[in-house]
Amino acid sequence: MNKKVIKSVTLISVIFCLLWLVGLGWAVTEYYAGKPDKIQEKTNVERKTEKKDDLHIVAIGDSLTRGTGDETGKGYVGFLLDEIKEKSKQDVRLTNLGISGQESDQLKEQIQQTEVKRQLQSADMILVTMGGNDLFRGGQGLLEFENADIEEIEKKFLENMNFIFQQIRASNSEANVFFIGLYNPFSDLEQGKEMSAVVRHWNYQSAELSAAFPKMVFVPTFDLFELKVNDYLYTDKFHPNTKGYRLIAERVASLLTW
Amino acid sequence: MNKLIQNEMMKLIAKKRLVVIAIIIGILVALFTYAQFKENERQREKLGTDDWRTIIQQTIIDQQNRISSPRISDEWKQQLQIALQQNQYYLDHDINPSEPGAPTFMRIFLENSIELFIPLMVMVIASDIVSSEHSQGSIKLLLTRPVKRWKVLLSKYITLILAISLIVAIAGLLSYSISGLVFGYKGWGAPVLTGFSVTDAGLNTASVKLIDQWQFLLMDFGLVWLVAIVVGTLSFMLSVLIRSTAAGMGVMLAALIAGAILSNMVSSWESAKYFFMVNLKLTNYMNGNPPPIEGMTLSFSMMVLLIWWAAGLFVSFYVFTKKDVY
Repeated sequence: MNKKVIKSVTLISVIFCLLWLVGLGWAVTEYYAGKPDKIQEKTNVERKTEKKDDLHIVAIGDSLTRGTGDETGKGYVGFLLDEIKEKSKQDVRLTNLGISGQESDQLKEQIQQTEVKRQLQSADMILVTMGGNDLFRGGQGLLEFENADIEEIEKKFLENMNFIFQQIRASNSEANVFFIGLYNPFSDLEQGKEMSAVVRHWNYQSAELSAAFPKMVFVPTFDLFELKVNDYLYTDKFHPNTKGYRLIAERVASLLTW
Repeated sequence: MNKLIQNEMMKLIAKKRLVVIAIIIGILVALFTYAQFKENERQREKLGTDDWRTIIQQTIIDQQNRISSPRISDEWKQQLQIALQQNQYYLDHDINPSEPGAPTFMRIFLENSIELFIPLMVMVIASDIVSSEHSQGSIKLLLTRPVKRWKVLLSKYITLILAISLIVAIAGLLSYSISGLVFGYKGWGAPVLTGFSVTDAGLNTASVKLIDQWQFLLMDFGLVWLVAIVVGTLSFMLSVLIRSTAAGMGVMLAALIAGAILSNMVSSWESAKYFFMVNLKLTNYMNGNPPPIEGMTLSFSMMVLLIWWAAGLFVSFYVFTKKDVY
């Protein structure tokens, strides 16, 4: 065995050994004695995203945007995307920012995030589902069903949506915005009739609000579910199933212009 | 003493263990590089963009959705919450947490191999450094020389430490050079955030610091090295205690794997934090991942490791100088 080889391997090992010791010492001192930096938060959205020639769809909202209840996991956004991909020659890019259980208060927060703004800015089309959780509170609202409360909730909701739409329009004045209306998942139940009246009023107000903004379309879904609501609902009797989502997607698709 | 160490080094090199270890590391790094490359490609296809901000935003949304699902445990929910807040922090401050490049790959590789992979490689050398002398019968030749027994053992231990330093270096060099072929060799100066701390209320960002990636890497290497030394020392002890190399390796392997499993499920068994194998993931303290058991800190883990280390060393020397060799 060559003595030189042994010597040099030993030497290299010693050097690394010392280097790692330095690293270890540094890690400990840095962990305990390091001074925190003041790191500036980036809030300007000025970073222009280079406008690509693909079609960018941004979907925001609640579990409907997420696709909860659809076995294929696509949701109406996914079905709509499939349809657009078929018809359009452009590349289509989807950013799905939907969060299950989100209410308009939370969406209001979300929409003010820098990155969300940036996404909206580069969007060619914006899809919004909102209100289901505000109104139904995941089905609990049905139990404490009282008109006075609902008026209050509706007012708050409309205020929030007004703010959200203003934000969307401020970041992007070009893209078409589709605001998906509510259906009544409880129309077969005991208080279904009263509930339907509430939902109709809610939708009417939402449509009125949408009309106040340019290039914003309110998409009704109430009628789609009216006759055979249980055929289109998932087993939780609240979210649409695959068929239900397909219906919503078809409705939105029929509104698209090329 | 010098002669003894040289003699041990010669045996180490002649056995070609280091070469085997380098080959194993090389193959694994190549595999991981390919997996990472595939993953990036899939993500690009799914999101239609390379932009890291879009990717993080999407991750945040996924995490929010998982948190809002009623079917997950509180503990898991809290972990997700912390990961989410960290992602949001990166996004808000416009810092890419995984700047593409070989240094980032190296960092992630180190962070993931500190617990099991590097200790395993160390074990390959440490667990037969003494017991092989038994099985080959050369121990008698070694001990009949006019040298004190503790000196013989010390020379072996020093050789082990040098070999461990070399293994850590090999892991670093190979992961850098192989992944660089795919991801490029740049990124030493990329900003990395450290100093996140996990409290009951969630993630604390008050003491966050911005450092260069090379600094972060050097610290990671230091921690990996410490873990490797502790595991190496314990294997060394077993190598003294147990004549059969295979049995010694088996015990150590069982301990390491138990540690990996325990880390995932001991959060309610608090005294488990005194096991050395639950404390191996030191890099978590640097990047702000929650420790397996609440209340564990860097100094606590290092204390536990050092106590195990000292005990292992003491037992090794005590037994080796006292025991009958026949």
